[in-house]
Amino acid sequence: MSLLQKYPAEVKQILSKYPADHKQSAVMPLLYLAQRENGYITGSAMQDIAETLDMTQTEVAAVVGFYTLYLDKKEGKYRMQVCTDLPCALRGADKFLQDLCGNLGIKVGETTSDGLVTIEAVMCLAACDKAPMFQIQSRDGLEYHEDMTVDKTMELVAALAKSGREVA
Amino acid sequence: MDKQVTLTIDGKLISVPEGTFVADAARMADIDIPVFCHHPKLEPVGMCRMCLVEIGRPIRDRATGQFVLENGQPKIQFLPKLETACTNRVEDGMVVHTQSESAKAGQKSTIEFLLTSHPLDCPVCDKGGECPLQNLTMAHGAGKSRFLYDEKLHLEKRKPLGELIYLDQERCIQCGRCVRFQDEIAGDPVIGFDERGRSMQIMTSSEPGFDSVFSGNTTDICPVGALTTADFRFGARPWELEEFPSICSQCPVGCNITINTRREAAADGSMVIKRIMPRQNETVNEIWICDKGRFAYHYTESKGRLTRPAIRKDGKLSRASWDSAIKLAAENFAEAGKNFVVLASGRLANEDLFNLKSLADHLKGDAVLYSEIGGGELTSAIGISPDTNLGEVGPGTTLVVIASDLYQEAPIWYLRLKQAVRRGATLIVANPRQTRLDDHASYVIRYAYGDEVKTVHSLDKKNKIGEAFTRSENVIIFYGSEGLGVEGSAALASACAKLLNEYGFAGKPNNGLVGVWQRANDQGAWEMGYRVEADLPRFLRGKVVYLVGVDPAGDDPRLAKALENAKFLAVQDILESATSELADVILPAQAHTEREGTFTSGERRVQRYYPALPVLGETRPDFAITAQIARQAGFIQEGTSVSAAFDILSETIPSYAELSYSKLAEVQPQWPVVGRGDLYYGGTTYENKHGLGAHLTTTASRGENVHILRVHRESAPRPQENELLAVPVTRLYDRGTTVLPAKVLKNRIGKATISMHPDIAERLNVKNGGLVKISFDGHSGEALVQIDKTIPAGVVTVPRSMGLAIHEPVPAKVK
Repeated sequence: MSLLQKYPAEVKQILSKYPADHKQSAVMPLLYLAQRENGYITGSAMQDIAETLDMTQTEVAAVVGFYTLYLDKKEGKYRMQVCTDLPCALRGADKFLQDLCGNLGIKVGETTSDGLVTIEAVMCLAACDKAPMFQIQSRDGLEYHEDMTVDKTMELVAALAKSGREVA
Repeated sequence: MDKQVTLTIDGKLISVPEGTFVADAARMADIDIPVFCHHPKLEPVGMCRMCLVEIGRPIRDRATGQFVLENGQPKIQFLPKLETACTNRVEDGMVVHTQSESAKAGQKSTIEFLLTSHPLDCPVCDKGGECPLQNLTMAHGAGKSRFLYDEKLHLEKRKPLGELIYLDQERCIQCGRCVRFQDEIAGDPVIGFDERGRSMQIMTSSEPGFDSVFSGNTTDICPVGALTTADFRFGARPWELEEFPSICSQCPVGCNITINTRREAAADGSMVIKRIMPRQNETVNEIWICDKGRFAYHYTESKGRLTRPAIRKDGKLSRASWDSAIKLAAENFAEAGKNFVVLASGRLANEDLFNLKSLADHLKGDAVLYSEIGGGELTSAIGISPDTNLGEVGPGTTLVVIASDLYQEAPIWYLRLKQAVRRGATLIVANPRQTRLDDHASYVIRYAYGDEVKTVHSLDKKNKIGEAFTRSENVIIFYGSEGLGVEGSAALASACAKLLNEYGFAGKPNNGLVGVWQRANDQGAWEMGYRVEADLPRFLRGKVVYLVGVDPAGDDPRLAKALENAKFLAVQDILESATSELADVILPAQAHTEREGTFTSGERRVQRYYPALPVLGETRPDFAITAQIARQAGFIQEGTSVSAAFDILSETIPSYAELSYSKLAEVQPQWPVVGRGDLYYGGTTYENKHGLGAHLTTTASRGENVHILRVHRESAPRPQENELLAVPVTRLYDRGTTVLPAKVLKNRIGKATISMHPDIAERLNVKNGGLVKISFDGHSGEALVQIDKTIPAGVVTVPRSMGLAIHEPVPAKVK
């Protein structure tokens, strides 16, 4: 089912914010809507959006490719995005990331085998003084975790796994 | 004239039009500012940073707005950093340093950065030898890099973006010229950038990939070897190629091209065509060509070429001498008298058509153009006049396109009209179904197939469209043959011509009627007084027919039957065909790539083409063969010098008066400058050194009386309840003899596909892509179905030259 069919009211509301002859301006909110649906943006969602906005599928895909917060493939339920920019690195973010990956048994960019967590290294998240830090992106939204250690993070992962199971 | 702005670049005082970018202003003054992403035909983006220069601007007094003076001269203030010459527009009193120490350092560093991840695989790169990155590195690069070679990215080197264009991700320098070309010029944004920063790559996620009829042009403006064509990839090194100026023979636009040839072991050491490149003519094709023109040249080198004369003896064709073949043809033609018919193709040169017509006239026979579009004599009367330039029309000009899908039929006209709208021209597109040009139209008119004439009659009604038409300073109408046969298109042409004449849109530049013909030189045939025949099968029966460059038997079984029942057939052509199988005598002709000649484009521009390949076997040029036949029949024609034949033509046909081969070979400086070793600026398009051609006059522009016959015609036939109205449409890639031999286009040509509305498909219980049988007019064939909601209900569109012999709207059954 297409996005338009599933969420007619929301799509209409998004489109109403932009002038009718510039409807391609609605591409970003529609992509967020599509991402919320599956946790990532499927090829068919991009096609839907392209058709709705009179764009080519390539143009929509180029927007997805440009912004790091849009995903075009299925990843973990929780995306753990560790800032590794210079100030964070000075407070040990690099080492933190390396050890965390070691503990989870995955590399940066990979997802744990249970599909729970994806680890990513990202640019500045504006919390340099509380590094090592990361944000968790999930269907529930964004959550900051600051002044973290590997142990604290592993506890968090265990808690997430548990809560996830309860939900399921 | 535009307001001029005066500035100083490297101490040279120059004046250029207001709004010019510094990089272009420098180029106009023959000063090199190196660029990669900037292209004079594209909007600036400042992505590559190669054009860094120092720019100083005069300081103005805030209170008075006057220049602040220092020692009697305006005081110039430079920014503390370098600026990009491609994004800054010229200002009065501006001072630009392109060669200063800091500017040179900026340019040198940019090259160094660009090369941090360029593979430098020049020895195996198709672009090597004509590569802007290679050339600018030699001219402006540091020679050594401070970066680590080991850190170069290793990426995919053979990524097909579509079946015609390959991407080498390692070579790409992310200038975005290709992406911007597809967006701004082609209007078909099917390639884009994925990711960003160092990960940025060209990609397509459209279906079916980079499928644009202009895709080849991206390889010309790509400043590196990142984009290559499937046809030329690893085909030859640029410096091995010879270059020959020519004119594209695929459609009536008349794009100027350069044919690149090389001797090839695979062809036993003889010369072969390696690629077709655009050649600049700003009044015709600018610096672009379509993919059909670029890739469909293979037919002249097809194995099925006719190379020796033959005569039918005891029912079998056997080899003959030229003398005996010509004698046999001449005897039969002369005897036939009124029953003699020349059936000629619009693929022939003006000189060929002229000799053929005068032979027919001399023998009191008939000269018929093999075409499905009528009304062409009206374009000779009130067609486009001299000094017309579609590349310059803008506000005040209304362009009308009726019954034609220009994107499919004449792609470069589609580009030119689209750009004219950008400059402010008004575009009215009238067609029963949606076409690509609709997206750029000021007004779209939908009418039912059969209502073409009615639609033209309503163009001057008192409404918005009528006002756009009647209040315009200039009007050009392009009429085509979508959904029409010979009679229908003749009626349409007559209605258009009457309207143009009534409102005075004729006989002056940027006004008149243009036919969207099927072949490159149909216009030439109309100028020389050929006519078209609506009922060819009946007409040909019992005649002595001189078939030149045509294959009616291959196109339509009814025509094959008519030819079988003809009295005598002389077939003069370059390729073996179903028609040559039926011939009594075969006269092998030279392809247009092997000889000299001229074509007259649909815009009525006469242009010269030159030989690129050596003569094949015993073939002779068409005009010479005809002259030899004429001589045998006791009538002298020019048969040795093609330019002398043209001189006689120009003395005889009023619209060609005062034109000559030397006049057609004249050139003028064109903007933007291309070639001249400055490949980085305009791309690898060839400079035009061999002639821009010349426009024909019209009856109207010569001030003579124009008489337009009203052509009556019944509207489209009414199908019965269980029938649909089958209408002919023209596709770019068809199964014509000049297209089919191009293997690289195989997927684009595909199978015969008919289109219908979803409701009709549902009623017939067929799915998209399903195979059906379609029958009309005693003819039937198989076709794939394409469901298209823009097709009017009750109609099925049938492509011409795809194996279904459709010539006009007919009731059809689809199962």
